[in-house]
Amino acid sequence: MTTIIRTPAEWPSVLLARAAALKDHPAMGFDDPSAALDAAVAAGAFEGLRRAVRDLGPAGTIATVATAGLRGRGGAGYPTAAKWRAAAAHGAPRYVVAHGYGADPGSLTDRALIEADPFGVVEGLAIAAIAVGATDAIVAVRAGDVEAVRRLEGVVAAAEEAGFLGEDVLGSGHDVNVLVRPVQGAYMLGEETVLLKALEGRRGQPEQRPPYPAERGLFGMPTVVQNVQTLAAVPWIVVNGAPAWAGIGSARATGTILVQVRGPERAGVAEVPLGTPLREVIALGGQPPRRHSLKAVVIGGPSGGLVPPELLDTPYDFDALRAVGAHIGSGSVIAADDRACIVDLARLLTAFCSTEACGKTIPCRIGTRRLVEIAARITDGRPRPTDLQLLADLSADMTDSALCDHERLATLPLTSGMRYFRSELDDHLLRSSCPAGVCRPIAVGAAL
Amino acid sequence: MSFIPGLGLAKGMALTLRRFFEPKATIRYPEVRADVSPKFRGRLQLLYDEWGALKCETCFQCAQACPIECIDMGGIDTKGRYHVHWGPPEQYAERREESALRRSGRTVPDRAYEHFEQLDMSPVEAILDDHDYDPKRMLSILEAVQAVYGYLPVAALKQISFRSGAYYALIYGTASYYGHLRLDPPRDAGQARVAASARPDESVYLASLGAALDGRGAAAGAVH
Ligand SMILES: Cc1cc2nc3c(=O)[nH]c(=O)nc-3n(C[C@H](O)[C@H](O)[C@H](O)COP(=O)(O)O)c2cc1C
Ligand code: SF4
Ligand code: FES
Repeated sequence: MTTIIRTPAEWPSVLLARAAALKDHPAMGFDDPSAALDAAVAAGAFEGLRRAVRDLGPAGTIATVATAGLRGRGGAGYPTAAKWRAAAAHGAPRYVVAHGYGADPGSLTDRALIEADPFGVVEGLAIAAIAVGATDAIVAVRAGDVEAVRRLEGVVAAAEEAGFLGEDVLGSGHDVNVLVRPVQGAYMLGEETVLLKALEGRRGQPEQRPPYPAERGLFGMPTVVQNVQTLAAVPWIVVNGAPAWAGIGSARATGTILVQVRGPERAGVAEVPLGTPLREVIALGGQPPRRHSLKAVVIGGPSGGLVPPELLDTPYDFDALRAVGAHIGSGSVIAADDRACIVDLARLLTAFCSTEACGKTIPCRIGTRRLVEIAARITDGRPRPTDLQLLADLSADMTDSALCDHERLATLPLTSGMRYFRSELDDHLLRSSCPAGVCRPIAVGAAL
Repeated sequence: MSFIPGLGLAKGMALTLRRFFEPKATIRYPEVRADVSPKFRGRLQLLYDEWGALKCETCFQCAQACPIECIDMGGIDTKGRYHVHWGPPEQYAERREESALRRSGRTVPDRAYEHFEQLDMSPVEAILDDHDYDPKRMLSILEAVQAVYGYLPVAALKQISFRSGAYYALIYGTASYYGHLRLDPPRDAGQARVAASARPDESVYLASLGAALDGRGAAAGAVH
């Protein structure tokens, strides 16, 4: 099981609320999925589906989600209702895919949610399927998360038995067939068009967007791909009303989101209202050890940005983070204290992005590799005089010419490093020293 | 049809006369060589970058795009994972068998031109039957085949292509993409187990990240 970090009592809990309430229930071992389902239903699960079917109807559901201002939790923060409307406007058959792959190996947010409350995900998926008029829904989950797969499969089977899924859901006349599909084998499965390729049994390389999957997705049909957190929020919104959700978080980014915090004292998943200042998010991971101070926060996973402590008042939400050169991404927030070397860290992140790039396009196949080479030249103490300019130009070219977001984002560690930690970079470039004393063979610096 | 007798003949002779004084199209090879574009590579060959790494990412777009499946590749892919054998070696063997070389009785020593070993195809047939011969379910077909043989023999991929009607390049492209699928036999049981569960690049990344944060340097994490 993944560690859940307790948040201050005044922070609202939505996605993990039911899991916390049911934590000590004997059925929550999922040995008997229908007993677990009964317990969850007693705690309010599938009430949202009932209301969506009885009271709201497809158009009403989409309108409610729109009023709530729900935005996708998969990283980009695209308005969920807009995606549903687009898919509903195109011809059947349509598909809904719950994205629970969790590409970043350092972030367990989606896995934590599926393990703690698979009901919310399945219920949200059913509501989405009925709202857009899809009869086939797929939950894509990481095959390595054995427990998450087992729970999802149990819940889907039990929910079908209870009439929440399958033919004629709750007497609505809609069929919703849910399939749990374990997928594995590549980081790029996180990208939505790649995930769809995997579900089609093809090589995992992104497609040009537009047309977006909502127009042409799985097997060429309109497909709504939605992160599991996004889906899990939907039943809560339907039950508690759009204003309750819109009241949480900030005006442009409503509701709560799961964050994988990795701090000096502890690491785990926490539910955070969007718009919370970074300072408070990073505090969940504890304080830096004595004689050390916070140097940077890596936000967004392997392709995340490096944010300096001066910017800790930035709210944790989609647009504010993009403005400072980071992004929500996989929901990971990592504290780096002054023992870490920024260039070394940025090189590592870029190197991972480069190995995982799919190879389809030139920015992805060659651009990422050249970025890593530049970074490696700097950390190895043999930079060329033009390297900084080259780094900036190459990053700009990659951002402009990328096919998928991966290459665009893969430039962030180095560009944000350049932007905020220029003096540390200059130490490497001009004085051949590494202030953190990490980079060999040039390590001179302040090795304590 | 013309009503003036001999007009057709005159027209023909006029053309002959015109062509006679035109520059000739014949190139007297090998004394004279044709102009070719500097981009022309003749035989397809993969390039290496200045660090000695193959530039080809085995993305298979060229092979998939080629309408007559004429693009062949050989070597180790850039991630050092697979021996690439697109462009089926057994076809080479077959072609060579027809060839003067083979008929002259000389052996062709290159291992790449050897036949594949005989493979019992009945599990592949059963798996394909279970999956309705449906290329859309290729990933689970490949996973099931790997569960039987321990890896994906090229002969099995060829058979899947033959029976399901999907291009071999598409199947090979899928098989060589996913980290849990392997095209070479596992060296031992332990290796097979690791390949089937965790992805080594992920654990190396996490270890390196830990090392980078503790001030040991990312490279310290890459070494296990
Ligand atoms: C490289 C890359 C990795 C991604 N990884 C994930 C992931 O692990 N989980 C996820 O839900 N979305 C991921 N996404 C975003 C998806 O492509 C997609 O935008 C998202 O799942 C849509 O759902 P949402 O609207 O609910 O956010 C990734 C995108 C990129 C470019
Ligand atoms: S497989 Fe891809 S990278 Fe390799 S030669 Fe063909 S197109 Fe280029
Ligand atoms: S990772 Fe290859 S095109 Fe984006």
